Amino acid sequence: MSDIAAVLKTILQGFLSDKQTTIDETTPINSLGLESVVVLEFVTDVEDHYDINIDLDSLANIQTLRDLAEAVKEQGVD
Amino acid sequence: MSLLDKFAEAAVKRDQLLELGTNPTQVRMERMIDATTAVVDGKPTILAGTNNYLGLTFEPECIEAGQRALAESGTGTTGSRVANGNYAGHELLEQEIAEFYGYPHAMLFSTGYGANLGTIAALVGPGDAVLLDADAHASLYDGCKLSGADVFRFKHSDPESLDKRLRRLGDRARTALVAIEGLYSILGDYPDLSEFCDVCEKYGAMLLVDEAHSLGTMGEHGRGLSEQNGVLDRVDFIVGTFSKSLGATGGYCVSRHEELALFRYSSRPFIFTASPCPSVVASTRAALKLLRAQPERREKLWQSASKLYNGLKALGLTLGPQASPVVAVRCDSPEYALTVWHRLLAEGVYTNLIIPPASPDGSSLIRCSLSAAHSDEQVTAIIKAVERATAGQNTA
Repeated sequence: MSDIAAVLKTILQGFLSDKQTTIDETTPINSLGLESVVVLEFVTDVEDHYDINIDLDSLANIQTLRDLAEAVKEQGVD
Repeated sequence: MSLLDKFAEAAVKRDQLLELGTNPTQVRMERMIDATTAVVDGKPTILAGTNNYLGLTFEPECIEAGQRALAESGTGTTGSRVANGNYAGHELLEQEIAEFYGYPHAMLFSTGYGANLGTIAALVGPGDAVLLDADAHASLYDGCKLSGADVFRFKHSDPESLDKRLRRLGDRARTALVAIEGLYSILGDYPDLSEFCDVCEKYGAMLLVDEAHSLGTMGEHGRGLSEQNGVLDRVDFIVGTFSKSLGATGGYCVSRHEELALFRYSSRPFIFTASPCPSVVASTRAALKLLRAQPERREKLWQSASKLYNGLKALGLTLGPQASPVVAVRCDSPEYALTVWHRLLAEGVYTNLIIPPASPDGSSLIRCSLSAAHSDEQVTAIIKAVERATAGQNTA
């Protein structure tokens, strides 16, 4: 798991009711039982963590933490 | 595999709702008795889930104005304002709305939904940025989609979250649009608009406020939260609707900027929609006069709002953050919310069931809304019905 994906995983786990849920880079985020509004809150926290903006259209193509990590990298985060 | 296969899941959900009795999304008002009462399932039911905030839907002046327009101008315009549907009434209503706000221009739309679509799509386009409150109405999101602009979401009613996102935009912030609401329609909360004006002015962004639920309900003269917060000269665009406080249908945009007069040449939802029918325009004009002449309706609405909010709070229920004409009761699960909603309807009180994904924060809610036309007895009856419907249950 990349460094960014590992950070994303930590942030995401804060939104899960079952903290023991197994997540890896390829776990579909929509398989975690989170309401769509909660997923958007997660993304907002990711934006603030890295001080970046991710537009809503880009989010439509994000299925996994790996996808989100790529979107974060595209904003210039190493 | 067919285009229609995806509706199988919707059919299952609908059938589950039907098994429990009345479908919350299809409550039939068999006959309207007055502004706050209808016959539902054969019995008189208090309407505590409409947006008839000023109770004007049965006002004789409005009905007479509508009837007169029907007789004089016909049932419909049969076309768009830019083609063959531009009547004197449309222009008079635009002038009256603009004058009400003290702005140079207003622009009418056939629905409130269309007003947000038409305003945003005229104002921004591909390459522009829109910053939307996380709890913004679907019409604001859809307007952004139609415009092709890049959309960024900030935390609900959080000017600091907006500030961060505008800062990150750099030079793009100077041409960005920020879209928020006055009174939010689900939880009944409202922001301090002056804080949003401060942030927008800091970066040179423009601010659009959707006052759909705050027209008529807020501000000394009913102009909305922008008036209440003293920022009518700082907000760039106000969008609103005639379908709530004014008891008709249609929407509008007003602005202190002269350029609004040019939106009609580029706003596709304006250009390609048939104009509001004459009777609707006439009843709206009559209702606007009453909104301005009868501030006591607003006072009565807020008295009832406080009574309901405090009454439900005294029952130990968890409510939205602020007392307002919209009072939301939090329930601990969608199933429980559905149960409470059915019990209330059986008690003769119609409310709104709000469950995920429609709820703003993923919670399950019973949304109550008030009208100036509700009597004290009706508000008391609503409180007692909620008490019985939630008896013995933890709804926090």
